Amino acid sequence: MFEIVPHTADVRLRVRASSIEDLFREAMRGMFAIMQARAGDEVVRRRIAIDSIDRTALLVDFLSDVLSRAHIDRAVFDDVSFESLTETAVAAVVTGRGPARFEQDVKAVTYHEADVRLVDGQWQTMLVFDI
Amino acid sequence: MEKRTFQRISDVLWEIPRAYRADMRVPARVYASEKMLDAIMRDRSIEQLVNVATLPGIRKYAIAMPDVHEGYGFPIGGVAAVDSDHGVISPGGIGYDINCGVRLLRSQSTLTELQPILQKLTHSIAREVPSGVGRGGNLKLKGDDLERVLRDGAARAVEMGYGDRGDLERIESRGSLPGADAKLVSDDARERGHDQLGTLGSGNHFIEIDRVDAIYDVEEAERHGIVRDGIVVQIHTGSRGLGHQVATDYLRQMTKAMAKHGISVPDRELACAPFRSSEGQRYFGAMAAAANFAFANRQLITAGIRRAWKHEMPDDRVEIVYDVAHNVAKLEKYPDVGEVVVHRKGATRAFPGQPVLIPGSMGTASYLLVGEQKAMEQTFGSTCHGAGRVMSRTRARAEISANELRERLQKMGIVTEAGSAKGLVEEAPEAYKDIDEVIDVVATAGIARKVARFVPVGVIKG
Repeated sequence: MFEIVPHTADVRLRVRASSIEDLFREAMRGMFAIMQARAGDEVVRRRIAIDSIDRTALLVDFLSDVLSRAHIDRAVFDDVSFESLTETAVAAVVTGRGPARFEQDVKAVTYHEADVRLVDGQWQTMLVFDI
Repeated sequence: MEKRTFQRISDVLWEIPRAYRADMRVPARVYASEKMLDAIMRDRSIEQLVNVATLPGIRKYAIAMPDVHEGYGFPIGGVAAVDSDHGVISPGGIGYDINCGVRLLRSQSTLTELQPILQKLTHSIAREVPSGVGRGGNLKLKGDDLERVLRDGAARAVEMGYGDRGDLERIESRGSLPGADAKLVSDDARERGHDQLGTLGSGNHFIEIDRVDAIYDVEEAERHGIVRDGIVVQIHTGSRGLGHQVATDYLRQMTKAMAKHGISVPDRELACAPFRSSEGQRYFGAMAAAANFAFANRQLITAGIRRAWKHEMPDDRVEIVYDVAHNVAKLEKYPDVGEVVVHRKGATRAFPGQPVLIPGSMGTASYLLVGEQKAMEQTFGSTCHGAGRVMSRTRARAEISANELRERLQKMGIVTEAGSAKGLVEEAPEAYKDIDEVIDVVATAGIARKVARFVPVGVIKG
């Protein structure tokens, strides 16, 4: 689950999930909820493979790649199928629809306040998006 | 943090001593009235400013301007000068919208002459300059064209027929940052930006037609052709998706490079690398290329406004007054610290005698200032960049009605062309600080001097 939280100039997203895969998935869906995306019927799939310094950076970098693809391909991605997901690397195929229109621009996913942690059996983090 | 942590240096300058936190390398300074400081302390701006004071190689102070507000990593409205030989460069100190900035144009008309066609003119400008989220324009840059825009900025736009050589004299750094290296701009960044030259974007970006409401320095105003009741136009936008992607690409590289360079920072968004390192130099070259894209973008938008003007006011002429960047890093030399990389994130260069453009929020005033010598001594030649947000966009949407706002603006004689009601309410005047108070602080501090004040008559928003 995700929740959009106010920020003076930008926007925060609080994300919680029972698995790390779901945390990535929910964070991605939360990002497109911020963007108030509307999409057509054309199915779009893109493979994303990245490595990062730790789990928190990996989530931010993954979302950044999805955001870049969304802007370039004009697509809304709402699901992800993981080929592999470790603490520092992810390979996955994101699936969505296009052509998309966004009501709200998200310029970037920031590392600010991001901290992926397992708390009481739930994966969680805050994310700040530059809008 | 408590207010007593601050030492009062003057009525408009407050300092957090280096001893406040063990990892601070320099004190942190805030330019604000006491009332404004109380408001600033309500969000995380000051905590973020203290984090900036920990950057390796930072000189003298981490500085916040009176329009400061919470950002991510660096506060918005911040200045940090870092030793070029022994310090770092941090993409977060420039932000994602590289060379977001303001251009001021002036026409030869007065409001009386413009009033009968104001609605039509506003609409014509909106038609000539595409706006909205991710919106592309008619010009699709490919191959060598994009390379040359990234290398030469506004000069390339002029070569392509969008303006004349004289325009370049009235742009900060003549619209082209040295050291720009197009090869360092990724394919993703190129793809995001290739069709966005000449487009406004969304969010707080706008074009505004203004009436000159007050002149404070007649001689300086005349030097720029600004007269009372004259008409000026402001353009506020930056490097669009291309710049956002450049910042994203290099922040990621820096998060990976920090361990190699033995650097740790209190906030990941302050990720940085030594300025002289390969990572530092590569970012600086890519950032300059994105900044050039932004200068070219404002040049194409100027051409769009000129087309609209020519159509509606064939006998009038639109000239550039000046163009400033407010999200950029520059290499500059100061007598007391030598060569530094000045990070300005939501802050404007204010060298003595240089025009400084400070847009207010929609429906309120904007200012033309001129930089003062004191800025060189106190703020690395910098001043504020705008009013500064105080209300989140979420709260603005919840509390402000688009219809009520439109009516209010209409009663004030302001014509609006907005892509969406949401975009309009998020930028409502009450979402921002009082611009007059912000300007009074920088004027009292002596870092910039008031020249003229503008009030809006037509607003175009994405």
